[in-house]
Amino acid sequence: MRAMREYLLLILAIVALAACSRGTGDAGDGNFYDGRNLSYIVATDPGGGYDAYARLISRYMQDDLPVDNIIIKNVPGAGHLVGANTLHRSRPDGLTVGTFNMGLIYGQLVGKAGMTFDLRELEWIGKAAGEPRSIVVSENCAIKNVDDLLAAGEAIKFGSAGLGSASWSDMMLLADALDLSVEIVPGFEGNEGEMSMMRGEICAIFGSTSSFKNFIDSGYGHLILTVGGQIDGVPNALDVVQTDRGRRLVAIIDALAKLGRITAAPPGTPPERLEQVRAAYAAALENPELQAEAEKLGLPLDPAYGDDVGRLVANALDQTPETIAMIKTAIDNNN
Amino acid sequence: MDLTGIFDALLTIVGSPYHLFLLAIAVPIGMFFGAIPGLGGKLGIVLVIPFVFGMDATAGALFLIAMHSVVHTGGSVPSILFGVPGTGPDAATIVDGLPMTKNGEAGRALGAAFGASGLGGVIGGLFLLALLPLLRPIVLTFSPAEFFLLALFGITLIAMLSGDSLIKGLMVGFLGLMFAFVKLDPQTGIERYTFGQLFLWDGINVIPAVLGIFAIPEMIALGAAGGSMAKAEKLETSYGIAGVLRGIGDVFRHWALSIRTSIIGAFIGMIPGLGGDAASWICYGHAAQSSKTPERFGKGAVEGVIAPETANNSKEGGSLLPTLFFAVPGSSGMAILLGAFIMLGIQPGPGLALTGMEIVWVLIWGLMLANILAVIMFIIVAPGLGYLSYVRGNLLIPFVLVLTFLGAFLAVRAWENLVLLSLLGTLGYFLKKYEWPRPPFVIGFILGPIAEDSFHKAMSLWGPAFLLRPGALVMIALIVLTIGFYVFRLVKHKPKPEWLRDDDD
Repeated sequence: MRAMREYLLLILAIVALAACSRGTGDAGDGNFYDGRNLSYIVATDPGGGYDAYARLISRYMQDDLPVDNIIIKNVPGAGHLVGANTLHRSRPDGLTVGTFNMGLIYGQLVGKAGMTFDLRELEWIGKAAGEPRSIVVSENCAIKNVDDLLAAGEAIKFGSAGLGSASWSDMMLLADALDLSVEIVPGFEGNEGEMSMMRGEICAIFGSTSSFKNFIDSGYGHLILTVGGQIDGVPNALDVVQTDRGRRLVAIIDALAKLGRITAAPPGTPPERLEQVRAAYAAALENPELQAEAEKLGLPLDPAYGDDVGRLVANALDQTPETIAMIKTAIDNNN
Repeated sequence: MDLTGIFDALLTIVGSPYHLFLLAIAVPIGMFFGAIPGLGGKLGIVLVIPFVFGMDATAGALFLIAMHSVVHTGGSVPSILFGVPGTGPDAATIVDGLPMTKNGEAGRALGAAFGASGLGGVIGGLFLLALLPLLRPIVLTFSPAEFFLLALFGITLIAMLSGDSLIKGLMVGFLGLMFAFVKLDPQTGIERYTFGQLFLWDGINVIPAVLGIFAIPEMIALGAAGGSMAKAEKLETSYGIAGVLRGIGDVFRHWALSIRTSIIGAFIGMIPGLGGDAASWICYGHAAQSSKTPERFGKGAVEGVIAPETANNSKEGGSLLPTLFFAVPGSSGMAILLGAFIMLGIQPGPGLALTGMEIVWVLIWGLMLANILAVIMFIIVAPGLGYLSYVRGNLLIPFVLVLTFLGAFLAVRAWENLVLLSLLGTLGYFLKKYEWPRPPFVIGFILGPIAEDSFHKAMSLWGPAFLLRPGALVMIALIVLTIGFYVFRLVKHKPKPEWLRDDDD
């Protein structure tokens, strides 16, 4: 009998708890977001660029979206794949958005393992900034400008992140496009490559321009080529490339560089809620206070919203089979 | 050495009630984040950044560095009391800290840990001061070649941690190495033993590995044995505050070791890319190696607590060097701090040495004062903590298991991590049950990837000739000496065979 009573109490407790939890049905009258939380998935560990942008934007989005909180969820792993997959699989109820590196486009184009979905399926909220890339050379290096690089006889040592990463794919594509004589030393994560340049082990790195700012300001190196942005005194790869094949490959890097810090929602998110989030996102990025804060944090802004971003993504993915074959060759080249 | 500048900075901190107040709240917060397994200092800093944003540069930087410096201090508490590492580097403290708790010496262990942390932090700060002019040449000497050999050197320390059987130690060490190789190969992009799981592409995270190998077996064993962590029949006559003070005194009794391991830790912290996890284990190995009675290690030797704890804190001082003066973070925690400093308007880089030395002095003092404050605050709380070791197992185990699983999940937000934790916990349990040493597993696990990655880079950069670099030759000599010393000790202590012994041997 005692056991029966205990079981009954247990069941009662479970039912009570279940009743207390919030269902996901409509809130009835009033805004859907009232009293709810928005999850913002970031496909990296806390502290990186994507995380910084997400935290900044989410703070200002709360001004226009009547949510209780916007919670940043760091879901790192597999070079942004885990975060992107998590975003794609999230319930499309308008309560989840996310940001990740669009380098995954390479993965989709060449059919890489781990890409479980088509990037075009996502609902695009917007992008905060492009992520222009540049080649930075160390002052220890014999190469001083892009002409030296193009004319180089023996292979120039370039550092890059791990094999298969977006930055490595960028490097391979550029090397193929400009027919560079390079030897790539992979495995440099974060700023390790810069230390290696200071030691004189590698000559140059092709990566996100903003990440080199400190290095250049300190006088350790300078930029010799850029893609996806305009910098005074630094030639753009589109102007330097000679062949048609090269032009197509550089165009892809350029398209990716323009996509930069995107934010998206899972496919199937209800249109009215999507519009609310888009409006809040746009309002946040247009807010002069956010812009001032971004400048203070060293986060450049170059926003685009909603379907404009969707178009950029579709264009980047719309490559002819020959181009895809070219990318595959470029990426498999040095293996 | 700008002495007026240095002491002005001290005055800025000590003379301002606001700054002292910030120190007073930053320290407990930092220790708290360290004490909860898996939370770690990184998340703490990220969460605190919005509050710091409005402060002026000095106050903000002081708050952040004070919080960050004491994370590992707090992390020693669960390591010693329950065998659950608060942060990755604190796992080394478990090896002797937990046996001390079981012997009823929890107070002493905690005192030693906190005293060591405080001393390590202070020496780390002084190290920072002293090495400022030499920074560039030293940091630039360490290339992948030296990293590889340093990692190899660390691996030879497995011998020190093998307890009674070198063979078992080596086998466990290489098992750890094998577990570390599960990931996407950075050199070829090939999946290694990931079984098609995206989750394993980045490898097994060190926190669940360490929690599984150390914490879970302890809890299972405790459950099977019954009773409390401290097996002592009666409480040691000097428990509570006296034990704690004795522990702190131990740090000064072993002053040579404490200073040595602090310097080694600061040095390792100074080299970006080596990783703080390695510092505590290398210093533990050094302590075992340099002791006249290495058999005591693993059974509750206080030096086994002092060495890793000094290293944990001094490495933070060391890692400030490249972070501030090269804008290259010395560790992942420093990476976030770097971003925070920039946000506060501090510009790390070589220019800082010319224009921004005041903030550097403030940071160094902040580091040292925070560590000292942590020890003082701790003395007040310590006796209570020591009593926790007498709590009954059936109350303790569920609590600790929840912390362990939570910690593993917080480290990497993936449910697969919990499965991994259970698997590694089972492995750890069998290792413990059949008396195989477990620390070598962690050494292999942490140093293996560093060795592999550095080896490939060194080969790409110089080919086999990398072994002939001056730094490399020094490291090779060190490795040979270490192995030689170990063999010599082994031979010397080997009992003579029956027929050679005298009657009174």
